[in-house]
Amino acid sequence: MEELFVNMGQINSLKVGGILTTVGLGSCIGITLYDNSVKVGVMGHIFLPKSRASDKNALPGKYADTGIIAMIKEAENLGALKSRLEAKLAGGANLFSNLSLNGTSIGEQNAHAVIAELEHFGIPIIGKDIGGSYGRKMRFYIESGIVAVTAVGKEAIEI
Amino acid sequence: MQEAKLDFLKELANIGTGHATTALSQMLSGKLFQLVVPEARLLHFEEAARFVESLEQVVVGIFIVVSGDVKGHMAFLLPVDSAMVLVRLLTGDDSGEVNDMALSALQEIGNIMITSYLNALSKMTDLLMAPSVPGVAVDMAGAIWQSVLAGAQVINEVTLIRTEFYADGESIEGNIIFLPDEDDFKKIAVLLGLGEG
Repeated sequence: MEELFVNMGQINSLKVGGILTTVGLGSCIGITLYDNSVKVGVMGHIFLPKSRASDKNALPGKYADTGIIAMIKEAENLGALKSRLEAKLAGGANLFSNLSLNGTSIGEQNAHAVIAELEHFGIPIIGKDIGGSYGRKMRFYIESGIVAVTAVGKEAIEI
Repeated sequence: MQEAKLDFLKELANIGTGHATTALSQMLSGKLFQLVVPEARLLHFEEAARFVESLEQVVVGIFIVVSGDVKGHMAFLLPVDSAMVLVRLLTGDDSGEVNDMALSALQEIGNIMITSYLNALSKMTDLLMAPSVPGVAVDMAGAIWQSVLAGAQVINEVTLIRTEFYADGESIEGNIIFLPDEDDFKKIAVLLGLGEG
């Protein structure tokens, strides 16, 4: 089966079948958008919550505020309808939890930003595995829409 | 100009890591460490993201925030097996378990090594570089590296200085990575007469 990897800051998509995978989610958030009726899936791997003027040539998928909208467009280009999209999230952890830097961790900030963007576009979040202090891997099965999340020393879960 | 700067940073990395491994050697009753030629690079975000190859390999990561005249972030990354050898040599615990005591020992090792590294650089440049309390994590290399880059808030590019080391007779290897903030990187360059950065 075709498996496409999504690196930090990238957005990738598949239609009908195959797997979209992202590895090494720490404070980053992995996001999947899925339209079940046309089997269109898009995956993103967001690095930080908010884009900045000094980073003009950044990949849209690097930041939550530019990434979610780019993911929606990509889904629509493949025939998905925004009103049918459903989202799943994984990541947003705080690996160095004993290093409490200015209150809210980057992982939490990322989660807040991604959830706010999805709410803004009216996309329901139907599964999530976020927070904690450990890294995650996310595999998105396009045929079924199932997302498997694995972490070191933990049972794999489906969201 | 860029080349000269990177060459100088390699030199800094060599000296920093040299001091760090000397400190480690003193903790481990004189065990000797070899340094592999250091690497200093200016990486675009996409290259930095791909810098760690085996994303799913479980590693120990120690992360420190640097403040003072030169701000930045440091990471000390080592394979779990190497970390467990260090723990055994330091504490006598040969269970190979990543328990609280092992984590605490590793945190202390990271602390001493990174403090020695920064002290050496401070002395050379006469710029203050003070380490925070170290954060320690045992996890997928990709997740640790990504969290380090996010902690450093990498924008479009990042200066990265890395030295690899290994020990004779024991299987210990690791990487010390320094990510100086962009403006402070220029400060070092200007100070050393290497131009406007």
